[in-house]
Amino acid sequence: MTSIQQRLSTGRGKFTTDYPELGTAPVNYEDSISEEFFTAEREAVFKRNWLCVGRIERLPRKGSYFTRDLPGRLASIVIARDLDDTVHAFHNVCAHRGNKVVWQEHPAEESSGSCRAFSCKYHGWRYGLDGKVNHITNEGEFFNLDKNSLRMPPVHCEVWAGFIFINLADDPVPLRSFLGDGLLPIEGYPFEKMTQHYGFSTRINGNWKLAVDSVCEWYHPPYVHGRFIDPDVAKAEMMVPPVDSYHYELFRPHMLTSVPGPPPLRAREPGTAGPARQDQRWVYKLFRAGLFGPDDVPDIGLDNDGADFLNRGNIASWGNDQFWLFPNISVQIWARGYYITYTYWPETVDSHIYEIDLYFVPPANAADRLAQELVVDSTIEFAMQDVNTIEATHSALKTRAQNTFHLSDQELLIRQFHRVIRDTVSAHQSANSTREA
Amino acid sequence: MALPQEFSDLEPFVANWALPTRAQRYEARLSKPFDELVTFYDAVASRAEEAIAYLNGLDIDDLPDDATTLLHLLYSMILVSYAVNVFKQNRIPDSGAAFFEMVAEPAV
Repeated sequence: MTSIQQRLSTGRGKFTTDYPELGTAPVNYEDSISEEFFTAEREAVFKRNWLCVGRIERLPRKGSYFTRDLPGRLASIVIARDLDDTVHAFHNVCAHRGNKVVWQEHPAEESSGSCRAFSCKYHGWRYGLDGKVNHITNEGEFFNLDKNSLRMPPVHCEVWAGFIFINLADDPVPLRSFLGDGLLPIEGYPFEKMTQHYGFSTRINGNWKLAVDSVCEWYHPPYVHGRFIDPDVAKAEMMVPPVDSYHYELFRPHMLTSVPGPPPLRAREPGTAGPARQDQRWVYKLFRAGLFGPDDVPDIGLDNDGADFLNRGNIASWGNDQFWLFPNISVQIWARGYYITYTYWPETVDSHIYEIDLYFVPPANAADRLAQELVVDSTIEFAMQDVNTIEATHSALKTRAQNTFHLSDQELLIRQFHRVIRDTVSAHQSANSTREA
Repeated sequence: MALPQEFSDLEPFVANWALPTRAQRYEARLSKPFDELVTFYDAVASRAEEAIAYLNGLDIDDLPDDATTLLHLLYSMILVSYAVNVFKQNRIPDSGAAFFEMVAEPAV
């Protein structure tokens, strides 16, 4: 063990055995390649759980709206803030003949803006910011219209900590009950101060759960990201924190991992970065930032030690908390005053849309702005390396040459994640068969 | 698109690298010969600390055009630094066809 590793090590032993219901047996990966499972998963998981569709900052004023065509034709919805500041979601479908109501130039592209009413481009029916019809062209020509009930079909919508969630079920549990005690405390985090937003999106040719797997464990960095750590793998292995320096917490269906990270560089006088070198460590020193964030940490109004809802496992040299909100988003809160969300939207069993959104406080000056730029670019350089690994894994799994896989203690969250998905699917299926019987 | 006078030695890089969006900067990183990335990196890196100090003396929310051009050169320097210093090639190794679309970025 290197000195860094000795300093971070806790000697706590394994985590997985704290959760005997999970067992330690190899895990079957049919759930990531089966068409039949994908169809069932869509019904049981994506049509019946709260899904985050964006931040409240996207609705800055009364009348603001944006559309979301959720991948895989899960739903096409409009999210709007009405004149009472209530946030509504409804399907982007005209009650007249089903035309998509809100779009600009190209019906397949997202749109956003501000308005008092939505007007259908087909026959001019108009809808309020709550989705209810308020104008029908040549209304007298219709037969037995019940104008009070006509609307773009509603979707359950609730806002928590500035995150807008929708739920496609008929009668979902309230969002706060769904989030539960494991997640609710993080609403104390000043998300609303972090309005400097960078958003990225890509299609990955692999099952969405394999992408979740790839960021649920800290076993892969010396290999997938070795060039960043040290091109010599043996040295890279010595640089990563020891396996017992992390913290894992499972609060079904959600979960948390806390990750150690390097301390910020010491403050330095301007002009002391030294002569330019072709060395990324010099770039980090120059711009005072790296993968773990800016070195000049902004004051975001939390205590020096962060807050009691962060680093709950009290790990040494805390770097970030990654809160996994079932089923498809993680909110990663970094020690150095910013946060990132990762969202996974399945399209088919074999592909998904992966979104990365980074949020910082507005920079006070060019140095802050450049440090943020470096954090963003580093995050994406790392993420690009993960993407192709997912495609490689998916293509190999599809051969079905092997069906079960060994998960180490470091991969506890993966074991839990697949278990919760499979249990959710089977619970939904047995509820359905009980209803049919 | 001129630079502030004290950075006029970087003018030859403005046309190719002082680009306002990250998508344009990434396209430049992928499309220019690797040698040009190295030349650009070396030129801007040697003036970077002075450039940061210069820009810090201005209001980030109200930069004159020449300062914005300088800031864009620094953004490009960051983006090519991974290619020059870490990967020794334009693309991230093993990244295949992977590419992220940028769907939101700050105005400055």
